[in-house]
Amino acid sequence: MKKSFQLLTGLTVALVCVWTITLAQSPKARTGTFAFTHATIVTVTQGTISNGTVVVAGGKIVAAGTNVSIPAGAEVIDCTGLSIYPGMIDAGTRIGLTEVGSDPRTVDFNEIGDVVPQMRALSAVNPNATAIPVNRIAGITSALAAPDGGLFPGTAALVNLHGYTSDQMYAGFEGVVLNFPASGKRGFWDRRTDEEVKKAAEKSLKQLNDVWTKALEYHKLDSATHGKAGYYPELQALLPVVRGQVALLVECNAEADIKAALKWIADKHIAKVVLTGVAEGWRVAGEIAKAKIPVITGPVLAIPSREYDRYDKAYANAGLMQKAGVVVALRTRDSNTNYRNLPYHAGFAATYGMGRDEALRAITIVPAQIFGVADRLGSVEAGKEANIFITDGDPFETKTQVRYVLISGWMIPLVSRQTLMYDEFLKREPGLQK
Amino acid sequence: MIIKHWKLLLLLIAALPAPGIAQDERELPPVTRTYAITHTTVVQAPGRKIEGATVILKDGIITQVGKDIPVPADAKVIKGDSLFVYAGFIDGLSHTGVIKPKEENNRERPKDPGNPGYEKAGITPQQDVRNLLNPADKSIEEWRALGFTVAQVVPHGVFLPGNASIIQLGGGAPDQSVLVSNSALYSELVPTSNVYPSTLIGVLSKWRELYKQATLSHNYEQVYASNRSGLERPVTDRVLQAFYPVIDKKQPVLFRADQPLDIYRVFNLQSELQFPVIAGDLKDGSLALQRIKASGIKIFLSLDLPEAPKDEGKKDDKNTPDAEKQQLEKRKKEALDRRVGQAAAFVNAGISFGFSGLSAKPKDVMANLRRMIAAGLSTDQALAALTTVPAQLLGLSDRMGTVEPGKMANLVVTAKPLFDEKSKVRYVWVDGTMFQYQATEVKKKDDGTKADIQGVWSFSIDTPQGKTENKVTFKKDGDSYTGNVVGGMITEPVDLTDIDLDGNALKFNFKITIDGNTVNVSIDGKVDGTSFNGTTSAGSFGSFATTASKDPKF
Amino acid sequence: MRNRLYILLTLAFGIAAVQTTAQSNRGSVVIRNGTVLTVTKGTQDKTDVLIVDGKITQIGKGLSAPAGARVIDASGLFVMPGIIDPHSHIALEDINEATAPVTAEVFTGDAIDPMQVMIYRALAGGVTTIHAMHGSANAIGGQCETLKLRYGTTDPEALRMEGAPRTIKFALGENPTRVHGGGYGIVPRTRMGVEFVIRKAFSDARDYMAKWDKYNQDKLAKGFRGAPPLYNRRLETLADILRGQIIIHCHSYRADEINMMLKVCKDFGIKRIVFQHANEAFKIAPELAAQGAMASVFSDWWAYKFEVYYASAYNAAILVRNGVVTSVNSDDAELMRHLYHEAGKTQKYGGLTDDEAMALMTINPARQLGIDSRVGSIEVGKEGDVVIFKSHPLSIYALPLYTIVDGVVRFDKDKDPDDMRLFVDPTQSTETTVDHRYDAGVDRCMEGTDFLFGDLSTEEN
Repeated sequence: MKKSFQLLTGLTVALVCVWTITLAQSPKARTGTFAFTHATIVTVTQGTISNGTVVVAGGKIVAAGTNVSIPAGAEVIDCTGLSIYPGMIDAGTRIGLTEVGSDPRTVDFNEIGDVVPQMRALSAVNPNATAIPVNRIAGITSALAAPDGGLFPGTAALVNLHGYTSDQMYAGFEGVVLNFPASGKRGFWDRRTDEEVKKAAEKSLKQLNDVWTKALEYHKLDSATHGKAGYYPELQALLPVVRGQVALLVECNAEADIKAALKWIADKHIAKVVLTGVAEGWRVAGEIAKAKIPVITGPVLAIPSREYDRYDKAYANAGLMQKAGVVVALRTRDSNTNYRNLPYHAGFAATYGMGRDEALRAITIVPAQIFGVADRLGSVEAGKEANIFITDGDPFETKTQVRYVLISGWMIPLVSRQTLMYDEFLKREPGLQK
Repeated sequence: MIIKHWKLLLLLIAALPAPGIAQDERELPPVTRTYAITHTTVVQAPGRKIEGATVILKDGIITQVGKDIPVPADAKVIKGDSLFVYAGFIDGLSHTGVIKPKEENNRERPKDPGNPGYEKAGITPQQDVRNLLNPADKSIEEWRALGFTVAQVVPHGVFLPGNASIIQLGGGAPDQSVLVSNSALYSELVPTSNVYPSTLIGVLSKWRELYKQATLSHNYEQVYASNRSGLERPVTDRVLQAFYPVIDKKQPVLFRADQPLDIYRVFNLQSELQFPVIAGDLKDGSLALQRIKASGIKIFLSLDLPEAPKDEGKKDDKNTPDAEKQQLEKRKKEALDRRVGQAAAFVNAGISFGFSGLSAKPKDVMANLRRMIAAGLSTDQALAALTTVPAQLLGLSDRMGTVEPGKMANLVVTAKPLFDEKSKVRYVWVDGTMFQYQATEVKKKDDGTKADIQGVWSFSIDTPQGKTENKVTFKKDGDSYTGNVVGGMITEPVDLTDIDLDGNALKFNFKITIDGNTVNVSIDGKVDGTSFNGTTSAGSFGSFATTASKDPKF
Repeated sequence: MRNRLYILLTLAFGIAAVQTTAQSNRGSVVIRNGTVLTVTKGTQDKTDVLIVDGKITQIGKGLSAPAGARVIDASGLFVMPGIIDPHSHIALEDINEATAPVTAEVFTGDAIDPMQVMIYRALAGGVTTIHAMHGSANAIGGQCETLKLRYGTTDPEALRMEGAPRTIKFALGENPTRVHGGGYGIVPRTRMGVEFVIRKAFSDARDYMAKWDKYNQDKLAKGFRGAPPLYNRRLETLADILRGQIIIHCHSYRADEINMMLKVCKDFGIKRIVFQHANEAFKIAPELAAQGAMASVFSDWWAYKFEVYYASAYNAAILVRNGVVTSVNSDDAELMRHLYHEAGKTQKYGGLTDDEAMALMTINPARQLGIDSRVGSIEVGKEGDVVIFKSHPLSIYALPLYTIVDGVVRFDKDKDPDDMRLFVDPTQSTETTVDHRYDAGVDRCMEGTDFLFGDLSTEEN
């Protein structure tokens, strides 16, 4: 933080700086009309614009380009040497659903029951979770908060990382999570035999098919009775999925499971569907591309799923799928609430074959498209919601500092509990002697 | 099947072991203890064969071997024209004849798991396997039927289960069977469970601590014994005392080393503590050949091998030859070849070894030996590893390992040479006692003469309350069978499950429900043309003799 | 017959292969024309590094290489010292003797598993040396082993870094109190209890030492015939700590517990201590610096348990700025593959310079393990542990191309096959997928204690 100030020179800038410091002490965001001038604008969808201006007003990007008139009364922020990016979207997290991992009382993503699609993440996301400021000041402006656990653990929601109620945070997408029956082991500690794992997966697949049959029956009954099929919360939550109105987020990772999921999706004619996880997607990339089903993959920073796999398969997976024609977005799915590492997951994917541009798309416009919110999010374009962040360099590089973050047009103070402690403890007072 | 008749329930419950007159199957002693195997082929030792020879056994000793030897008048004569005589086999590490303690499946959270006391921690080196022998244990019979006459046996358990003994597999009373008591201190570098030491690192630390404590107390006991006046009395600790013979280098430590890294842990203990070592049940010893050779550790290789792969994977992947899968299968095959080729690799490296039956199933042993031979072990080397080498490694060469006058009468006699696929054990002598085996009783697996059971059978199950009669129908379904059972108390046909016909061995299961309780019934036996002979097990109700005949009408 | 001959041949060659690897643990390499990040002596452009028989013998331009040395053209590439992970649990068969609050006698070096493919994967992330640690279930855990990642042999001895100082794991806070207090109902259940357990252990060790010293003294007298005290490996080890022969590596999180441990060390005259993880070390940085205590930290982990809830990714930067010898560590088989990236994060969180950030994964962990005279920088006389990167190692685009341990190339990105397993179990199915998403956040430090807390699969952290 403080380091970044040293880089700024010039009286005007210094003045802005002092003013920023004062404001940085306030945890309150503020909104208004902002003009970011002399910036490199990485629009993602419309190429990169040098020495451009982005105007934000009324929560929206009203202009982005070189020939932009600055509205009267706008707060002008000189962004010489800085770059403007669309806010990053982490397409798979538990943001706001967990505060302290080991304390079950602060963990809200895993409800009891195998089939509980009616459990809504959006209601349980804590807008005041400590992790929200920690992550958003890294430029993560939106994230999918997803339940986890059984077969249908609940309904995930895309949220903006600023706001004081679920309504203020909601970013326009909800999807039902399906943990597709897994034939892979669940970790190094999973001591089940191959046979036991297989049996469990078969049992779970049978359960899935039973649930789906019931959902179809409920759909017919609901149609025939014009919505008077009766209170059945599990099936009511699945109804819009059956009808193709809401997306099904199908978590599958092992090659066999991805294949089985693709077949199941085709058999059941599921219209709106996204594959998530897809750790072994590179093994079946052609088939996924052919099915034209988009993928949210991650974490990128992971160990390969098989002992004999090449060491970098998890890093390379996203790129391999993307090159085979799969639409790929990234997620961190980090269990230590470090969604701030999303640009680094993207950076590793870039380094191990995906390339920088595609990796940047995979955390901005692609997830926006997958979630059906590309009209609002995912790029720096006039008319979109003002979810942007401004850096002094390549956001994938760890040297780079984030200088401004705007979410829905609100200028986010670059403070979190972690930066506050930095300020307090860098030169602790009293030091050794009191 | 729902039993509607309450009587069957009674019947089944009554079918518990009947008290009263138990038939003691005591065999009459042999008429003579002198035997002559005449005009036979004797393999005296690996590579030393005499044809047309006679072997005389008298009172448990081989007295004469050679041509033109007169047959003593008191001898029972065995015409050996088509037979082959070998020295009885020696198993360097096994549980043969050792009572297995009941497993306590105790997942309970222990209290103060850091101080469990010796026994819970698996530290019972003072335990003597002689107290755990069961002459009637069927493993003795099974191994003997293969030609094994002597085995170094150890108590069940992990870490420091106790002292080994070398026993004869004649099935005699424990003390009668024991050739060498306390032949080795047995150890597995495996922790017990939830108490200290609960890890390999804990086990290795505790091993060293016990050894050092034993060394100190051994020294002090000697000091005390030389002049007790004015000295603190040493406390008798049987656990530490069990190490004294090892410390004095009078007894080796016998380690189980079946996991690939075990042998390296043994190297470390040996080089630190400098005691004599035997390592047994090695499976991946080829990974450490040079170090094994340098260590001078005595070695017994496992007779267990992984199953040979079945050629089944080829069918499902005919569309595209998957390079990765081929590569993986290749590596797996290499690993299997390494296991099968372990014995040959030891020979090539110049390390002598015996065999251990600890983790092998008797029924696989001869086939496994043939696989090792196919992988480069010569038949002489295989025979040596079963006879002369273990005799030497265990210090028994003066008594056994070869067919020579003066040695104990431990012999195995086969029809066809020993490692011939069609070879059969016909006689085994243990300490001069003869065991005779009939020519083929069970038809060979998959030799094309698989019994045909399709049709309707009348089953008769012999319970103490009388016979029950059932009709069992088998239908052929591709390579397997389906079927059902009806009749007697079973009013509605009940489907059979797990029908398994292997050669002429038939096994199948079905369930009956008695007052809501499900009883699993399992019938197991042998088919001979149109008849069947076997047993029926009905869970806790017991087992009953069962016969059946195929109804010619169907 | 032919078949048999073939098998014999394969066996012979197979054996030969294993032997060669076991024997060729030292090699010669010349790395030409790279940008050499020495860490201790600055950056040297277009420079050669010569490693002969496992040792760095020359650094300069146009060096002549001995015959048989492998030549690597590093033009446009970055050459840095092998990365040292001061907190790892890979390459071990067993980690945690979690049955007693004090288990100083156990030693991870007894359970080295040289065949884990994770060793190769760590090499592919530029790691050449690891501190293979005991778990954190006990207030005083076991002794740890420093390993060189000489992957390619089944002999555990080949991995031991001969002559590295002895180290031991201690653990404060939630882990020991959860296992022993919570799990077994014995002391410690609180941080007060942890302090007591450690102080009592050292006090007992002091008595034990005195008894043995007396016995050994008495024994010198002619005709002495007394009984020796009871030998106890636990107290022997603790006594060795008091004698200054073992470096303590103390798993810790909160500032108060770190401060407590500093005082314990002071009271018992213990000089060498490294705090592991130490997420709140930054709150007590002046005290650490004053006592010469060191810290090995995560770059950014937090909130996976309560005692790391008030942590900050600025930890490393604050510690460095306050003069504490600091390193980054992994405690995790995935994280260890990109410690260069973790070190890079200290530039985002606190703006460390390149040299400062590079030191976090090289010379500083070497200091903490007492091996800085041998590894941790590219200097003549040091061991030939070198990583060659495409792009600067602190860049996100850094790509390890070669990892060299003692002059032997152990990772070669373009030449190595995909399947690098050393040991294949012939009974295992070829297709076993492990979904490591579920491993994330599972504390390997606590491995072996799961039975105390039910099925881990229902509890992720």
